[in-house]
Amino acid sequence: MPSKDIHLSDQEMLLAADGELSTDGAAQVHSHLAECWACRARMAEIEETIADFARAHRHTLDPQLPPIAGPRALLRAQLAELASEHDSNSWRRLLHFTSATRAAAFLCAAVLIATVVGGISVRRSTLRRANSIVAAFERGALPDRRLTPGATRSVAISDVCAVAHEEVVEEVSTPLRQEVFREYGIVNAHPDDYEVDYLIAPGLGGAEDIHNLWPEPYTSRTWNAHVKDALEERLHEMVCGGELDLSTAQRDIATDWIAAYKKYFHTDRPLALHSRLESIKSASALM
Amino acid sequence: MPPRDSVNALPFANSAEAGHSAKASQIEREVMELFEQFRDPVLRYALSFGISVHDAEEVIQEVFLSLFRHLQLRRSRKNLRGWIFRVAHNLALKQLYANQRSYKTTSDRTIAEEPFDPTPNPEEQMSSAQRRHRLLAVVHALPETDQGCLRLRAEGLPYREIAAVLGMSLGGVSISLTRSLARLIRADGR
Repeated sequence: MPSKDIHLSDQEMLLAADGELSTDGAAQVHSHLAECWACRARMAEIEETIADFARAHRHTLDPQLPPIAGPRALLRAQLAELASEHDSNSWRRLLHFTSATRAAAFLCAAVLIATVVGGISVRRSTLRRANSIVAAFERGALPDRRLTPGATRSVAISDVCAVAHEEVVEEVSTPLRQEVFREYGIVNAHPDDYEVDYLIAPGLGGAEDIHNLWPEPYTSRTWNAHVKDALEERLHEMVCGGELDLSTAQRDIATDWIAAYKKYFHTDRPLALHSRLESIKSASALM
Repeated sequence: MPPRDSVNALPFANSAEAGHSAKASQIEREVMELFEQFRDPVLRYALSFGISVHDAEEVIQEVFLSLFRHLQLRRSRKNLRGWIFRVAHNLALKQLYANQRSYKTTSDRTIAEEPFDPTPNPEEQMSSAQRRHRLLAVVHALPETDQGCLRLRAEGLPYREIAAVLGMSLGGVSISLTRSLARLIRADGR
């Protein structure tokens, strides 16, 4: 134990500072510190160093932290989904409609209605959904038509329909992404600020062509990437079900995908399931 | 020492040890509150493994979704902050191993951007940026475990929680931090 003649070890000082010494041990350390200038100086040095490191650590990493709003909305949406999955497993409880289960019942009803109306697949991976919800933030809802009129590749319906729409995910190559940014006059684009998205989805025969790509900032509006994904799935289903020509689907989504959504979902606003972020967006006055 | 949050300050942490009637909506609210409180510190911690911001954000989402399941299954509510950091630690490591060939670590990049002389030079009036770089370079050269201890300490975790996150003994954490701090002080030319 420390005495006036024997200085404290760094470890003793650190443990004392962290409240990890016994009452007696801590008392001895404190009384030694009160009397020993050298140990007080050492203690100050240690504290200053760790505070400096904490500052340096934050200073380096904080500029990289994206705003919390997007991830918060994403988490909220995913939690709502997890909760609704949990509740739908015991859906009988919903028949009682007690006030406590009303919110969950509403969610389940929304899931059911949207599944019937839109034929929405809920099989997509959490990750992809996560990406699209995050992508929904800070976006321009529509691309510049002069720069991004849409482009298709020559493809047969059988090819388009051979795989589920959500499985057709094509990464845009880095040089092409950079070209898209240049075209839109975005300099020093941080990879996490934008998603380069297809106007006509690859699953609908869209080409990996600069005329079919535009940079979407990561902010959400009413008409966000999540909603557009739902439209793409709906169109894919209609094309493969023989209800719609592939060329019509491509033209409609390229001309004005919001108008196409309204037309094919018979609604003026995104369905609740497609834009769960809406209330959050309104609250954050991003609209 | 950096300020540290009292574990007792965790919302709901002690409210319902016997939360048998915990409803999904209540757990959602609880998880969102913990997210507000710890998202930045945990994200910084995940980033310090050298994974990309995108990957780190995904790790954080996974952490809080796991927390939701953890609470839904009525598992232990003791020290949820430690739990959150521990899960983030494991997921970030997993991500790092998965990416190791394609990514160069963030700290490598950050430090490499501005060349500097890592040896202390008392004649030179160091700018705060230089000092920062020097400190981080020294930390970066430490063994992984020592770096982990320091970073968790910088996020305000006390020794006991650091020990739990890293699976070390309290004494081990204390020795590691003592050693690292002594090295930092020396490198700082004090």
